[in-house]
Amino acid sequence: MNRYPVIIDCDPGVDDAIAILLAKQLPMLDVKAITAVAGNVGLEHTYPNSHKILHVAEWDVPVYAGAEKPIVGEKITAASIHGADGLGGMDVPGAVIKPAPEALAWDVIYEEAKKAEGELVLIAVGPLTNVAVALAKYSELPKLIKRIVIMGGGATYGNTTPAAEFNIFADPEAAEMVFQSGIPVYMVGLDVTMQCFLTPEEVEEVGALGSKQAKFFRDVLQNVLAFSLSLGLPGVALHDPAAVLYAVEPELFSGEEAGVHVECKGKITRGKTVTDLYSDAQFEKNAYVVTGVDRTAFVKRVKELMAQY
Amino acid sequence: MRKIPIILDGDPGHDDAIAWVLANASPMLDIRAVTTCCGNQTIEKTTYNALRICTLIGLNAPFAKGRKGPLVAEPIIAPTVHGESGLDGPKLPEPAFAPSGLDAVTLMAKVLKESEEPVTLVPTGPLTNIAALLAAHPELKSKIAHISLMGGGIDFGNWTPAAEFNILVDPEAAKMVFESGIPITMAGLDVTEKALVYPEDFERIRAVGNPVAKVVAEWLEFFYGFHRSKGYPGAPVHDAVAVAALIKPEILTMRKLYVAVETEGDYCKGATIADRFGVTGQAPNTNVILDIDREAFVQLLVEAAEHYSEEVQA
Repeated sequence: MNRYPVIIDCDPGVDDAIAILLAKQLPMLDVKAITAVAGNVGLEHTYPNSHKILHVAEWDVPVYAGAEKPIVGEKITAASIHGADGLGGMDVPGAVIKPAPEALAWDVIYEEAKKAEGELVLIAVGPLTNVAVALAKYSELPKLIKRIVIMGGGATYGNTTPAAEFNIFADPEAAEMVFQSGIPVYMVGLDVTMQCFLTPEEVEEVGALGSKQAKFFRDVLQNVLAFSLSLGLPGVALHDPAAVLYAVEPELFSGEEAGVHVECKGKITRGKTVTDLYSDAQFEKNAYVVTGVDRTAFVKRVKELMAQY
Repeated sequence: MRKIPIILDGDPGHDDAIAWVLANASPMLDIRAVTTCCGNQTIEKTTYNALRICTLIGLNAPFAKGRKGPLVAEPIIAPTVHGESGLDGPKLPEPAFAPSGLDAVTLMAKVLKESEEPVTLVPTGPLTNIAALLAAHPELKSKIAHISLMGGGIDFGNWTPAAEFNILVDPEAAKMVFESGIPITMAGLDVTEKALVYPEDFERIRAVGNPVAKVVAEWLEFFYGFHRSKGYPGAPVHDAVAVAALIKPEILTMRKLYVAVETEGDYCKGATIADRFGVTGQAPNTNVILDIDREAFVQLLVEAAEHYSEEVQA
């Protein structure tokens, strides 16, 4: 596989931060832009946080601002998990927060898609609002995007509600627009991301690599790690990094073609990604649902990539 | 040994029929009533089937017919799975008796009232009758020990991608039952699609040789037809797991979870949603069965078939 043009759409966010750190070390990804969206915290944090993370990564990628709220529903955040500022209160000295460019996320997605002549891959690891707005504005967009790898949803369960995962719950209508857009969607959901966890020891091992990025990696994860352990989980799930690694090294993962719809109306299921993977009843296939990972290989790759700093 | 008093409520249906064969054969269960609901087929057909099953297996408990449709929703039937009669396949004896004149809910209420100890309900169809009972007789809630039901699935559906048939047919009824506070054991698709009886097991049951065993083998054969076309290696005898949960719980793996029923939605109506991470703050209301020792389950069915050897004539 050759290097290909990518936009990372994200809502940093602790695991988004890790995803960006890893993306820099993956030469296959020609990252044209980072587009920020409201999600884990508001856009007033996710936009500057994107700059902060790029500063930590010592990486020069243009950052654009996108949606401040979902296309239809009420805005929600996950500040209880990611901290009020989205990065667990981590100080990033020396980071320069450039004013947001005039071009907005959806326009950048469209312009880059045109430039890339059908080769652009979107890695979207926040609520899908920016992508949905791009789809709403530019009718030819589905033809221009090669595929979209999302972190979001879950074939069998949720985390924000019993039925719905945070990114999809935060903007179900946007997610349904993306799934029904005709762009091939690769869904890296909770089924696999909960398997992509790092134990406390493994987080320490990364920190012990010693670079400022490795230490940032360890420190930014601490609150979420503690929260995860309090739930009885074996470690901290690297949700968004799983999507980035899947985009480049799908051979570490397993999954299946599936039909997926997002429930936008249910009383207790709003935001559920309903898949037909295990059911007698079938939808039209519109997605590839990633369900498994070689966790040992995943952890090894995370460490190797962080060791390159 | 003290027998567990139960009421069988179902929409037979091949797997309901096999569940009843299993229940009727168990020395641990005291079947106080049999009631029918619509689901796999119309209430007329499921009631006729239920009468024929009871006649075949010598189940002489008080019998009543349920209401003709779900509480709110329009009826859905499953002829692709169970055939036009709702119990296609082997020839069955004509009913040797008629239903009591009572409604299903009235009979259930009567049994509960007259019972000295709380009774366990075993619904293997849509939960219409059970919900109606709870609504009409709140005073009898304490007389219900436990509800061991077949329905739902915390990971996936079958009739729609999100919903299992029994819950989808009457989601409002299911919601009432799950919110009732009565202890629930849920044999949902999570386990019932593992409760597979393979074609070679059909032969083991047939070889038992008595008339009931032969009919069970033929039911399994018919029921497997639909599932074979969907790629299953055997027939998932869903409803019998709700009975196995009472007489052989040691072959099952269960987890206590809070389960809620979706009654609306474009795709999720009828889904049973489990709170794995405790995000709702609700206390567990359901013992969700997640796994089964398949071979022990088949053995249970074989032994149930053996029970009938000398006693029953078709």
